[in-house]
Amino acid sequence: MATIDGSNDSTESEGGPLARWTKSVIEDQEKRDRLYRALFIVAAGFFLVTTLFPFYWLLVLALTPTSQILTGDWSLPIIGVEFPHPQGFNVYAFVEMFEQVPFHLFMFNSFVLAISTTVIVLAVATLAGYVFGRLEFPGRGVLMLVVLMISYFPPAAFLVPLFDAFLGNAVVIPFLGIELFESPRLVNTPASMVLPFSALFLPLAIFILTTFYAQIPDGLEDAARVEGTTRLGALVRVIMPLSAPGLATAAVLTFITVYNEYFFSSIMALENSPENWSPLLGGILSYQTQYTTEFNLMAAASIVGVLPIVIIVIVAQERIVSGLTAGGLKE
Amino acid sequence: MSTEAESVGREHESKWPGPVVSLSRWLENLGETAFAYLLLTPVFVLLGAIAFYPLLRTLELSLFTGVLGSGEPTFVGLQNYVDLFTGAANPSLPGSVTFLPDVTTSGGFPFVHLEGWVRSTLIVTLLFTLVSVSFETIIGFGQALILDKDFRGRRWVRAAIIIPWAIPLVIQGMIFYLMFHPSTGFLTSYLAPLGLVAETNTLNDPASTFLIITVADIWKTSAFMALLILAGLQSIDRNLYDVAKVAGASPWQQFKLITFPLVLPTLIIAVLFRTINAMRIYGLIDTVSSCTTVPSLSCMVVETFYSSRGLSSAIAFVTAGIVGMIASVVIYQRYKEGF
Repeated sequence: MATIDGSNDSTESEGGPLARWTKSVIEDQEKRDRLYRALFIVAAGFFLVTTLFPFYWLLVLALTPTSQILTGDWSLPIIGVEFPHPQGFNVYAFVEMFEQVPFHLFMFNSFVLAISTTVIVLAVATLAGYVFGRLEFPGRGVLMLVVLMISYFPPAAFLVPLFDAFLGNAVVIPFLGIELFESPRLVNTPASMVLPFSALFLPLAIFILTTFYAQIPDGLEDAARVEGTTRLGALVRVIMPLSAPGLATAAVLTFITVYNEYFFSSIMALENSPENWSPLLGGILSYQTQYTTEFNLMAAASIVGVLPIVIIVIVAQERIVSGLTAGGLKE
Repeated sequence: MSTEAESVGREHESKWPGPVVSLSRWLENLGETAFAYLLLTPVFVLLGAIAFYPLLRTLELSLFTGVLGSGEPTFVGLQNYVDLFTGAANPSLPGSVTFLPDVTTSGGFPFVHLEGWVRSTLIVTLLFTLVSVSFETIIGFGQALILDKDFRGRRWVRAAIIIPWAIPLVIQGMIFYLMFHPSTGFLTSYLAPLGLVAETNTLNDPASTFLIITVADIWKTSAFMALLILAGLQSIDRNLYDVAKVAGASPWQQFKLITFPLVLPTLIIAVLFRTINAMRIYGLIDTVSSCTTVPSLSCMVVETFYSSRGLSSAIAFVTAGIVGMIASVVIYQRYKEGF
């Protein structure tokens, strides 16, 4: 918006309504505020529609009976605009999806994996966060860099040896050829997923907890120490309770990341069946591979799978925001 | 004095069995450095087993031939890498070279002449990263500017913007699969006349699928950028805006002269961070289409790790190397800022 150009234009061409409006916007403070307000509402509305429309589309598909989907004419005009909307109201799809695929078992697996990973990550990251956030020792910076580096590597970089080991083959020291031990066969068990998840999602939790633990004043810890508490006792009884928001943040983010994970979830469970500890992902993909034309079930399953996440986001959005900014930027 | 303190300590902890008491006393007497390293042991045992060991072992395996878990691997040196970059490995890789087939075939790459699959997977991965991160930055900035304002219902708008970021990859993939599937997708009929996607067989057409996957990623991850940028916006001193208003600066000038320069450092870190993450693209491709249609680097690792382990490891290590280069830029940035 070049103000000077605009005013020159409008003085030269008094007549046009657009020019008159431009002129009034430039001169009239109130009108200008109204314009910015309108732009703001349009932009906010645009983002709301684009982020939420795909979910609406899932609902449309889930409620429309299969026969209607396959004849597929989505563009029924509403108020002159073509807009997809449900054709029929087939709530039964949400029952049928559980009959076709034991989706609840897949969901159960996802929850077990997510909760156990979260517990391990919190336990290990608390110790590390305490060390990085509150202790001064040689090598601190280097060790933090190493942890940070790990979080950058793609999971594909770890896959081949991990899969090899989890199949029950020997773990060999690289380049020396010395066999250390034979790993138990871990594929198709929760451990084959919880272990990689714990290691790869650990760095984020460490950085969140480091930030939060570092903010607790030294005086509070010292007071507890004077009372005769050990260092670990002070961590558990003073620092952790005071950093409860930080712990909640790390927990929520770890849970969401595990629940959403694709790479190891799709590989470490050799088949998409709940007995093989295949999580949510296996359930959703079962519809895609076995019931190739039951699109309403795919949509219904996606809605059910997304519900826990929607609830978490609505309840814990403050934690998510603070966690992403603390862990992502590490300010 | 010290004996008194000790006896008090013993009394206090008397509900614990003897070994625990002596263990906790041993812990207390450790110096700060030893204590720090002791507490870090679990972290580095876990990272060592699940990250460092596989990384090194991947490098080792990439120097051998062999099928996963069986057969006597033979040492071939850098042959796997050479095969990858000269195109000799193409027959071992699934599918065919379909993506952007002839654009850069004859053009010599500065250092190596890229052929076949690796060329197309590299191009796919880098192009995807470039396009998606650019759009995510722009859209994320827009979203952040909106969330930075105070208005009624801000909480709900923010939740709505975050939700796509938080949903499982497989469901994100399923949404876009359903949107463009020939039987269900209503979007194909709108976009095909514009020439954006192929009219038939949309999800098997490399260029269309590439576009769909990029849009899907932008839809999901812009919120992440928005939140990081928002953090930068909210750390800006509000007084600056008051001064600017008094001086008569228009909102655009305020943005150009205050907001943007001050949020730039955050923006750079966020962009680099997203770049590293975008290079991992795999799950979305696997759900929406298949790795043979749009081959990314991670895709190729997964597609080959059963049949040719050495080759798979080589691709994995190349991926790690590229990510490592970008990561070292990030780390240097943080090091400069006084890590």
